[in-house]
Amino acid sequence: MSGHQAASGSRAFLAAIRTRKVLQEVAGLVRGPQRVLPLLGKAGADKLRMKFGSRDIYSYTETKQDTGEALQLLVRWIKRAQRQDGGIAAYYSLLTGYSESYPEVTGYIIPTLYDCGHVTDDREAWGMAERATAWLLSLQMPYGAFPAGLYRGGSQPSVFNTGQILQGLVRAYTESNSSDVLRGAIAAGEWLANAQQADGTWSGPNAYQGVPHTYYTMVSWALIGLSKISNSSFAIVAEKNLSWVLKQVKPSGWIDHINLTGHPTYLHFIAYVIQGLLECGILSNREDLIRAASKPAWVLLRKFEMNRRLLGSYEEDFRGGLHFSCLTGNAQMSCIWLRLFERTNDPRYLNAAIKMNELLKQKLPVRGGSGILGGVSGSYPIWGAYQPFRYISWGAKFFADALMLEQRLSGSFETSRCAL
Amino acid sequence: MRIVVQCSSPYSETGCAMAGRLCQLGQIPVGVLTLPALDRATLFRKFRQWGWNDFCRYAWNKLGPSGDSATAKLRNPYLETALRHEDGLFRNLHEVASAYHFPLMVTADQNSESCIKQFKDWAPDVAIFTGGNILRKEILMVPRLGIINSHLALLPKFRGMSSPEWSLLAGDPLGITIHYMDAGIDTGPVLLRREFSELSHCESLSDLRNRLIAGGIEMVMEVLTSLERGSITPVEQTEVDRDHQYFVMHDRLKVQAAKILKQRQVAALAQLLDRKAG
Repeated sequence: MSGHQAASGSRAFLAAIRTRKVLQEVAGLVRGPQRVLPLLGKAGADKLRMKFGSRDIYSYTETKQDTGEALQLLVRWIKRAQRQDGGIAAYYSLLTGYSESYPEVTGYIIPTLYDCGHVTDDREAWGMAERATAWLLSLQMPYGAFPAGLYRGGSQPSVFNTGQILQGLVRAYTESNSSDVLRGAIAAGEWLANAQQADGTWSGPNAYQGVPHTYYTMVSWALIGLSKISNSSFAIVAEKNLSWVLKQVKPSGWIDHINLTGHPTYLHFIAYVIQGLLECGILSNREDLIRAASKPAWVLLRKFEMNRRLLGSYEEDFRGGLHFSCLTGNAQMSCIWLRLFERTNDPRYLNAAIKMNELLKQKLPVRGGSGILGGVSGSYPIWGAYQPFRYISWGAKFFADALMLEQRLSGSFETSRCAL
Repeated sequence: MRIVVQCSSPYSETGCAMAGRLCQLGQIPVGVLTLPALDRATLFRKFRQWGWNDFCRYAWNKLGPSGDSATAKLRNPYLETALRHEDGLFRNLHEVASAYHFPLMVTADQNSESCIKQFKDWAPDVAIFTGGNILRKEILMVPRLGIINSHLALLPKFRGMSSPEWSLLAGDPLGITIHYMDAGIDTGPVLLRREFSELSHCESLSDLRNRLIAGGIEMVMEVLTSLERGSITPVEQTEVDRDHQYFVMHDRLKVQAAKILKQRQVAALAQLLDRKAG
């Protein structure tokens, strides 16, 4: 088969998948006609806001909503998204309702739940984190990996999802000191180490679309965390991967090989690369990693400040992209800017993050039923390209992280500046 | 010297004051270029910055009957001298233009072809930028010497927006820089740079800004005199960080900047008292 035939074959395959998804979603609406009104209401509200929202470099969004209240709304959304099995649903769709539990998000939402528990003294959040951990350990495959995709019983092991779940296990161990959790985390780490290629990448059947991705810096972050709690050499595996990622950094700040065939390069994935690099840099005190993360973080900060928004996806070298907002990516960028502020003490990062959080608060539904109230939609407007018509659990997770970071850092900033 | 003034609106106090001050000193501009008054984005921004009451008061002062213009309230009281003329205070550029007989061109885009053509016809030696669009290279190249801007902080450090507030937050000295504009943001050669020393009199951040704006106009006049005499040499900004400028400061950080302003005032007053006692 020629290259052209293969390409058109894979395009046809992707189109078939997309068509099936659309039909499933529409069928969901037919099964749940009570969802028609909220769907029309949200679509109409976004249309109006897009029409009349002002956008210039001097103005920025301000809401009257308190950061603490917004955080409570998000936590309430996450609590309602926890399924009976202990896993967290991937999303609430305006067409089909809640999805099944999603192991990947259930994993990396654990640190957020513990943080909420500490910040708001919410015992329920702790309990949720413990239930989520127990469910994840029950899913772990005998060789240490965790399954890909939504939980429907029996699935392919996934490098990225194992890494993301490892993030949660590392935190769960720090909080609980449970030997079962540590054993599970080490098994996951060993599987990841064995699955790594000689060049430091993860590819093949257990990687998304079979190819290496730079956003697997998130896996490296989890491995460095594991290395710290287990006094083992998993950090070497992470460093190997990070060396490969650093080779993909371009002078423009763009990082190549995000590699999402058939999808645009959503801001969510760009932010993953940056966040992974930055957190690895902070954890291992490596300035080269922090510098590599700072460059694209500043490019995006500048774009946000000049245009008062970020695009939902970007093309190579940040040259352009799709005109919608990927709210999860926005929340991730807020986290990144806040962490850079913490590291560098440059208030421009704090300034941008506060503005971004205000913008996200404005998009947070303060009315609506379960699944809508306090949810973070995949896209703004709701029909945008990333997770359309869905409120997604990882969006709520990253926005809650951003708000907690803002509360902590702006408080210490105000105290320190007054002492000038 | 052939001078052109560029403004963000015919009702811009800073623009009127710049043109008015030039006329007072006998340097009548060969032309003034301004964006229209009813620019939606500008109106919206002013409304948000000032609130409903101040916005309406300002609009009434500018657009209402002109009977008692001498008592018209200014948003920036330190511009009163520059705006004063025999009948009272100038309220807009149309009034300044008709009093001193210079042409006024209203354009929606200062980079447009018609605007550049008009600019070339005026053949200015120098242009003074008080607000408007981000200028492209074509228009930057027209004046023989260049386009002058008054930046409300000490360059090269605080390039961009909210610069006095960022200076305060960083604990750095406040000041004004007069510089030529180039394709970058506040990166052009510096003509005059001066620290601001009246901190102890400032009542608030907006008062500080108003004083800096008025101080900037006087410094531009000084620069023009020096340029005419040939006694000033522009100095390139060598340590400029071209990638990292400053952006509009969020109100929450402005609260901190205002607190620092108060602290610095107290310190300045204490120093003054010490000196007097000594």
